[in-house]
Amino acid sequence: MNLIAQLPVLPIIIPIVAAPITLLLPKGRVPHLWACLFSWLTFAACIALFAEVSSTGPISYHLGDWAPPIGIEYYIDLANALVLLLVSGIAAVVFPYAYRSVQLEVDERQTPLFYGALLICMTGLLGVTITGDAFNVFVFLEISSLSGYALIAMGARRDRRALTAAFNYLVMGTIGATFFVIGLGLLYQATGTLNMADLADRLIGQDNRMVEAGFAFILVGMGLKLAMFPMHLWLPNAYTYAPSAVTAFMAATATKVAVYVIIRFIFSVFNFDFAFIGAAFTYVLLPLGLAGMFVASFVALFQEDVKRMLAYSSVAQIGYMLLGLSFATVEGLTATLVHIFNHALMKGALFMAVGCVVLRAGSHSIYAFAGLSKRMPVTTWAFLISGLSLIGVPLTVGFISKWYLLQAAFEAGHWYAGFLIVASSLIALAYVGRVAEVMLLREPAEDGKYAMPKEEAPLSMLIPMWVLVAANIYFGVRTDLTGGIAQRAAETLMSMAGGAP
Amino acid sequence: MTAFFEALLANPAVILTVGAFVIFFLPRHLACAWCLLVTAFSAIKLYTLGLGEYGALHVFGEQLTTVRVDPLSRIFAVVFHIAIVLNVIYAWGQRDKAQNFAMLAYPAACLGGVLAGDLITLFFWWEMAAITSVFLVWAPGTRVTYLAGMRYLAIQILSGVLLLGGVALTYRETGSFAFDMMGLRDADGAVKISALVMFLAFGIKSAFPLLHNWVQDAYPKSTLTGAIILSIFTTKLAVYSLARAFPGTNELIYIGVVMTLFPIFFALIENDLRKVLCYSINNQVGFMVCAIGLGTINGAAGYAFGNIIFEGLLFMALGAAMHRTGTSKATELGGLYKTMPVTMALCIVGALSISAFPGTLGFVTKGLIIDGAGEAHLFWVWLGLLFASAGVLEHAGIKIPYFTFFAHDSGQRPKDAPLPMMIAMGIAAALCLGLGIYPDPLYALLPDQAAIADYHPYTAYHLIEQLQLLLWAVLAFAILILVKWYPAEVPSTNLDTDWFYRVPGRALMSWAAGASRATWIALWGIFSGRVQALMARVYSVHGPEGEMARSWPIGFMALWTAILLALVLVISFIA
Repeated sequence: MNLIAQLPVLPIIIPIVAAPITLLLPKGRVPHLWACLFSWLTFAACIALFAEVSSTGPISYHLGDWAPPIGIEYYIDLANALVLLLVSGIAAVVFPYAYRSVQLEVDERQTPLFYGALLICMTGLLGVTITGDAFNVFVFLEISSLSGYALIAMGARRDRRALTAAFNYLVMGTIGATFFVIGLGLLYQATGTLNMADLADRLIGQDNRMVEAGFAFILVGMGLKLAMFPMHLWLPNAYTYAPSAVTAFMAATATKVAVYVIIRFIFSVFNFDFAFIGAAFTYVLLPLGLAGMFVASFVALFQEDVKRMLAYSSVAQIGYMLLGLSFATVEGLTATLVHIFNHALMKGALFMAVGCVVLRAGSHSIYAFAGLSKRMPVTTWAFLISGLSLIGVPLTVGFISKWYLLQAAFEAGHWYAGFLIVASSLIALAYVGRVAEVMLLREPAEDGKYAMPKEEAPLSMLIPMWVLVAANIYFGVRTDLTGGIAQRAAETLMSMAGGAP
Repeated sequence: MTAFFEALLANPAVILTVGAFVIFFLPRHLACAWCLLVTAFSAIKLYTLGLGEYGALHVFGEQLTTVRVDPLSRIFAVVFHIAIVLNVIYAWGQRDKAQNFAMLAYPAACLGGVLAGDLITLFFWWEMAAITSVFLVWAPGTRVTYLAGMRYLAIQILSGVLLLGGVALTYRETGSFAFDMMGLRDADGAVKISALVMFLAFGIKSAFPLLHNWVQDAYPKSTLTGAIILSIFTTKLAVYSLARAFPGTNELIYIGVVMTLFPIFFALIENDLRKVLCYSINNQVGFMVCAIGLGTINGAAGYAFGNIIFEGLLFMALGAAMHRTGTSKATELGGLYKTMPVTMALCIVGALSISAFPGTLGFVTKGLIIDGAGEAHLFWVWLGLLFASAGVLEHAGIKIPYFTFFAHDSGQRPKDAPLPMMIAMGIAAALCLGLGIYPDPLYALLPDQAAIADYHPYTAYHLIEQLQLLLWAVLAFAILILVKWYPAEVPSTNLDTDWFYRVPGRALMSWAAGASRATWIALWGIFSGRVQALMARVYSVHGPEGEMARSWPIGFMALWTAILLALVLVISFIA
């Protein structure tokens, strides 16, 4: 039993063992260092796993040596290896970033709880991604969600509205999870198995009401988790009132993992032989994706609160992902996978920049950003560069996403979609431009509520933030990493689902 | 990663761009010297590169050629460098960091575009040019210029978006990003959508008729030096792109002829001399566009080269007068020759050159185009171009120096232009005359050496044709002065009553100009009214208090979930 053979389980084992121990540590610095260490170890394990998968192909790992379909199977191919890398990578930069931000925003007595919950949340997300067992997805989803509710509620020290936001999210998230598990139940009723690969085999030819209803419940349940328009209403408040580090982490990972689950179910469990898959693409994902792109962007345009603006922008960006998915082509799926990765980079960096402003100005209102370039130039530029990335300016990852998406739209013959993608990017230009104008051209407030010292955020926050900003540019230039991997992953998924290659 | 940096360093445009950013960290008084130094570096880089393709980059699994120096891009790159040097000298001592930045970064972007060997690189620099140039429009820092800058930026970005669309479509069709001859039609003669979109993108930047308003809107509102820089680069980048992608496209001939003709009418009744020169840009670019349509790339490239120098010279001379008097209105200038004799002389050199007097740069470059039209046996086109040439003489060749330095005496007695301006204008004038008399170095740079081999500018035919044209135009002007049909107090339009268009008369021209202006204002009014109403409606729904942005109670969210579930169930069942 060597370590390499056990590699697939390490990304789960490492944090899940570390998390409870965090609770026992004394409050203050120690839990943070502990959690940091283990987030990095997890990241290292994920890198190793990714390298392994990309060189040797998909890995199937049997937990406790119980062979599937009886035992739980971890199944890792390129698609989820990429998402694993993303989740653990974002965690690896958010954990170091969190310390100063959490010091301000979270009660000190809660620090062991906070870092413990954040580790558990990460474990849950990694688990959802890595597992090849449908019920296991539900279990890990609940692990990540429950810790997520707690994390959001911890923002209550600064703003009591965090409590209602967390409560709403709790109710909605539970409805989503319940729908999901109802869907699984129906599928289990139809097939008698919960292993994804086994499900896929036994579902063949089973085009009956039970399977159809099961699909509907799974799609809507996951749609709620990923904040598909119009089920996004829990998201803006949750992201706005959560502590900055939590927002940065969840915005970059949680919804992405839910998108991944939808992809996994559509392509690896169901397949294109089911007529409802095509119908769901055409009548659900495509129109809702487009609606989300515009409605949420317009809402973002008028927000007075930068964090809230970015939250709505996330809903819009999820619209892009659903749009790419709905084309049901390799190009479309590639675009979605690329955008999952890229959007995490830009939103992570943007929310981190907001966190830096909150640290110094004590507010994430747009008025707190007035003249920021004179007070916090390093943070300002991080925000600007990631903002450009969000718009889709060349040399940033945002451009790569838009490019793949446009290609996919043209390929699928959806001309109008190509036009709408560009149009909604222009709205993004407007809402990012609004903040940029305030940051660069307005004079900073000299006194009153939003006055702030001329002091940059501490290095412990700046360095992780700039790592993400640099990633925005690096992956904007080196596209073979994201684009190439995503394309290979998309081809594999597509061949699983029996669609045109 | 090293390959990436090598590719960047091979690019003169990148050198200039990096240099531009350094300006922000330099003491203000060193900025101009630094600009010259960087430009010299860039020029040396360009020279040492020589003809060929460099800066290969792998992006999107495609090979990009970020630098391509071939005879066509070389002549543009060379004249861009000359123009940067002239601008920097002219603006010597300018302290505004934003303007100094734009003075280098904006030409750099256009240079990058000219050197781009593929469409992705072209798009990148295309957008960079839009973004960096807007700082020049904004430079005066008033609300009017801010709004003008926003309008300018919107149109430039629109052009960029169209270009990107064209790039994507072309890639779909051909599977390649190569920036080469594409032509507007395919083998069957049907218009290609991809090419058409790109054609429009280029058309906006080169200010095709009806797409031209941004030039007159934005350029005259910039600062003294800003207007000069703006007048040079954007449109020439577009001309280059057209010459690269659409040589010999018939439509361009007619677009070009219209472009040369219509600004003349506007220019003649315009009182603001800077605006007159902006119309003159349209007219001059029209000659180049026409040349591209005729397939005489030599004519387009050569004339672009010449135009950058002599149009720049006119802008600089007018700028010097403005610098001393604070106005560019024809009614407020005049009589400056008494105290600004050197500027006056240099301005006249520019005016002679733009009117293509023999012995000037204009003559040796414009001949290439007119000849092309004649050889193509397109009589009406040839006539249109001749007519336009006479128009150039009236509105740029005579109107600019006459109303600035002569005409009625405005009573102003300013000092002559400051030394740096004088030096820049002097160099430009020297180039106008030097290359006009001895054009061989310029001809050696032209892209199509085979065509130029047996071309001689100073043949009897060329001389007679041109002199006849010019002398008649001058005679008309002189008679008007002598018989005093020419009230100096209303120095706006009487120049147009020359032998060419006596028949339509001034009334018709004023009417035409007024009507198109009124139509434009009315259309814009309707459009902006609609946009405002639309935004108000969007705000009422999506604004912070709108339905879309409210924090809804949980029950409502759950209801939505139920509705969606029902919807998905129905869809799954009936699918």
